[in-house]
Amino acid sequence: MNNEPAILTEGLTKHYGEVEALVNLDLVVEKGEVFGFLGPNGAGKTTMIRTILDLIHPTAGKASILGLDSRVDAVEIRNHVGYLPSDLSMYPNLTGRDMITYFANLRGGVDKTYVDELAERLQADLTKKVGDLSSGNRQKVGLILTFMNRPQVLIMDEPSTGLDPLMQREFQTMMREVAEDGRTVFLSSHTLSEVQRVADRVGIIRLGHLVDVEFVDDLRSKAIRRVELQFDGPVEASVFAAVPGVRDVEVASHHASMSFDGRMDALLRTATQHYTLVDVNTQEADLEEIFLEYYRDGAAV
Amino acid sequence: MLTNVFTKSLRDRSTAFLIGALSIGVMLWFGMAVYRDVDIGFYYENLPPAILEMMGIPQTGDVAGIAFGAMYNLIGAFTLAGLAISMGAYAIAGEERDGTLGLLLGNPLSRTGVLVAKAASLVALTALGTLILWGFGLVVPEWLDIDMSGIDVTAVMLALFFNALVYGCLALGIATWTGNRSLGSGVAVAVMLVGYLGASLLPLTENLADWARIFPWYYFTAGNPVVNGTDWGHIAVMGGLAAAFFVGAFSGVIRRDLKEMSTDRTVFDRLRESPRTRKMMERISGSARVSRISVKTASEFQGLLVITGSIMFYLGLLMPIFYGLIPDEFIELVESFPDALIAMVGGANMATAAGYLQAEIFSITGPIAILVVTIVMGAKALAGEEEGNTMGFLLGNPITRAHLIVEKTIAMVVYAVAVGMATFLGTWVGTLLAGTEVTATGLAGTSALMTLMGLLFGGLALAVGAATGRSRLASWVATGVALVSYFVFSFFPISEAFEPWARLSPFDLYLGSDPLTNGMAWGDAAILAAIFLVLVAISVPLFQRRDLRG
Repeated sequence: MNNEPAILTEGLTKHYGEVEALVNLDLVVEKGEVFGFLGPNGAGKTTMIRTILDLIHPTAGKASILGLDSRVDAVEIRNHVGYLPSDLSMYPNLTGRDMITYFANLRGGVDKTYVDELAERLQADLTKKVGDLSSGNRQKVGLILTFMNRPQVLIMDEPSTGLDPLMQREFQTMMREVAEDGRTVFLSSHTLSEVQRVADRVGIIRLGHLVDVEFVDDLRSKAIRRVELQFDGPVEASVFAAVPGVRDVEVASHHASMSFDGRMDALLRTATQHYTLVDVNTQEADLEEIFLEYYRDGAAV
Repeated sequence: MLTNVFTKSLRDRSTAFLIGALSIGVMLWFGMAVYRDVDIGFYYENLPPAILEMMGIPQTGDVAGIAFGAMYNLIGAFTLAGLAISMGAYAIAGEERDGTLGLLLGNPLSRTGVLVAKAASLVALTALGTLILWGFGLVVPEWLDIDMSGIDVTAVMLALFFNALVYGCLALGIATWTGNRSLGSGVAVAVMLVGYLGASLLPLTENLADWARIFPWYYFTAGNPVVNGTDWGHIAVMGGLAAAFFVGAFSGVIRRDLKEMSTDRTVFDRLRESPRTRKMMERISGSARVSRISVKTASEFQGLLVITGSIMFYLGLLMPIFYGLIPDEFIELVESFPDALIAMVGGANMATAAGYLQAEIFSITGPIAILVVTIVMGAKALAGEEEGNTMGFLLGNPITRAHLIVEKTIAMVVYAVAVGMATFLGTWVGTLLAGTEVTATGLAGTSALMTLMGLLFGGLALAVGAATGRSRLASWVATGVALVSYFVFSFFPISEAFEPWARLSPFDLYLGSDPLTNGMAWGDAAILAAIFLVLVAISVPLFQRRDLRG
């Protein structure tokens, strides 16, 4: 297509009366990446997705997908987008196969062999009525519907709900393949481990504000570490809290543990000055820890 | 815990019982007011006792008797029993289908405990409905200063209560025994309707009279409690039946593996599953059911169409033939009916074949059949997708909102035309067989106008659904406007002052030109069609400006 970004929002804002569901959201998602959109429940993830798909109208600002305006070109956009809503419900009296035929017809046809391939990879049963499927198996049908047209941009709202770990892995492989193909995945989630494994970049949203956008690798190299210190006698938390970069100190008699992103020599010097250090254990924090950082009271908004 | 189940069931269903009972009460009030000002002597001077029996009218010649007969013995009894059936069928089987029974039984409750709590709430609400009717039965005659001597209101209420309980418990029993809610309500409604016909018609023939006793309805009406007071033997029979059905439900709920949330299985599904019929079914329905939005929408409402269409076809077929069997004396008798009574059956003159068909088919039954189809389809068209959480998925595809409205409207138009066609074909063949003097052009014109009027109210439901995303609101508004239109059309002409206003009713555009005699009224048809198209057209901006749910 063109060189426009896959998804672009400028000052995107949505108010429901007094409630500010989205505030001045500026976001660029490039082609060929898997973008993870992280936030707790009620942060505005679904509102953002429904706004760029023209299911709801922005109060201010605008959005485009592949350079097409979200309001003016809504239908053209949907030609290139696969959308999987959260809380997936489908027509309970249709079988998976019926669902696929129905939506394929709305799009003017579909590559049947690719559908079969997807069904096989996800081990989806397409002969049963979707109302009789478990939520995980229903989700598989939803994934097939989202992937089957090889859309340029896949927008998925909490897509791995109900999938077992094996299927989640298969699904992650499928998302990586899309990105390798030069297409784009926009993935909203609160399942951090999933985003950590699959996404190139993450955007973090909180109370309608986009708090930060980072490469997953950069986030990790922010070097927040979990440090555990073992002493030969009881210690006090206040001693460690005074060291720059130390947070969340927890002390249990001879043992202190903390989050740390400062200089290690400063911490060790303080520790050895006051007490006798017996053992040191330090780990790279996972995204979970970083994520929680953003939701801590007082985090930048 | 069980009291919670009891009170929740009360809360869920009390509105329905309140509205149902209040409407019947208000109708009793209107009915008594109308009958008070009209000469009702013809009922008793001319109608044979058997006909009075069938209309539920006790043979005492006063306003109170007629109003009680018309409102309580017939409409009131059907309404109360209908509400009980709906509640009984849902009690266990409905919660199974919705997947909430498992949630309920995740608490320290026994199955039988839940069943007893549900049955208790059924009894309580039936009693509540009866009490409201009782109140109206006592108060309305006071207000209107109507002589109530010889009328036993208490006996009527007792009979009404037990009668409703019989069908409520029958629905409860069958639905709980099988886990199939629709089967429960279907069988109960069928038993009720067949019973009503059997109990009213069989006694007309001497050697069949005793057979009427096999129908539960017999024990409701045969003792004529309005006049004769309570027949305790009959009450005992109804109470016994209700208790027996409850025991059925009780053993059913113990016996069965409870189901999880499930989908409806249609006849088509069963035919598809059977190896013998699978090929044929694939050819008939197959993937064509989902080829596009209008086709899929149509397939969703297939059952509704088959039922309403065949009812209209067979009624249309039978009624002209019936007309030929009516003795001349009866027709002469009906000719003497005052205008006020004729207005109640849609302003038709029963003395002619056309008038008879209008009264029996085109003034009430036909509009109900077509309005059920168009209002349900219109209300569900957009709001149904939003409420079912499928709108986002649907509009994730490259279609505009306007296109969606057009597709849904196509399905509605096709089905309305199908009901209209079924009505036309049925009445046409019927009149040919019976040799009735009604022209095919008259029938075609009336059926076409009826279709257009149905579409008008369907369009209204569509527009309200588009603007609000609420299908219940949409169908209530459309049904309410339709009811008001009907009353305006049928009652306003009685009074000279109000008569011109009747022209505003869509029913007047439909029947006002007497299309059965005069054929198609193209002008009226154009107005009906234009209003329908305007309603569809304004649905588009109403729908486009909204933030969608689902």
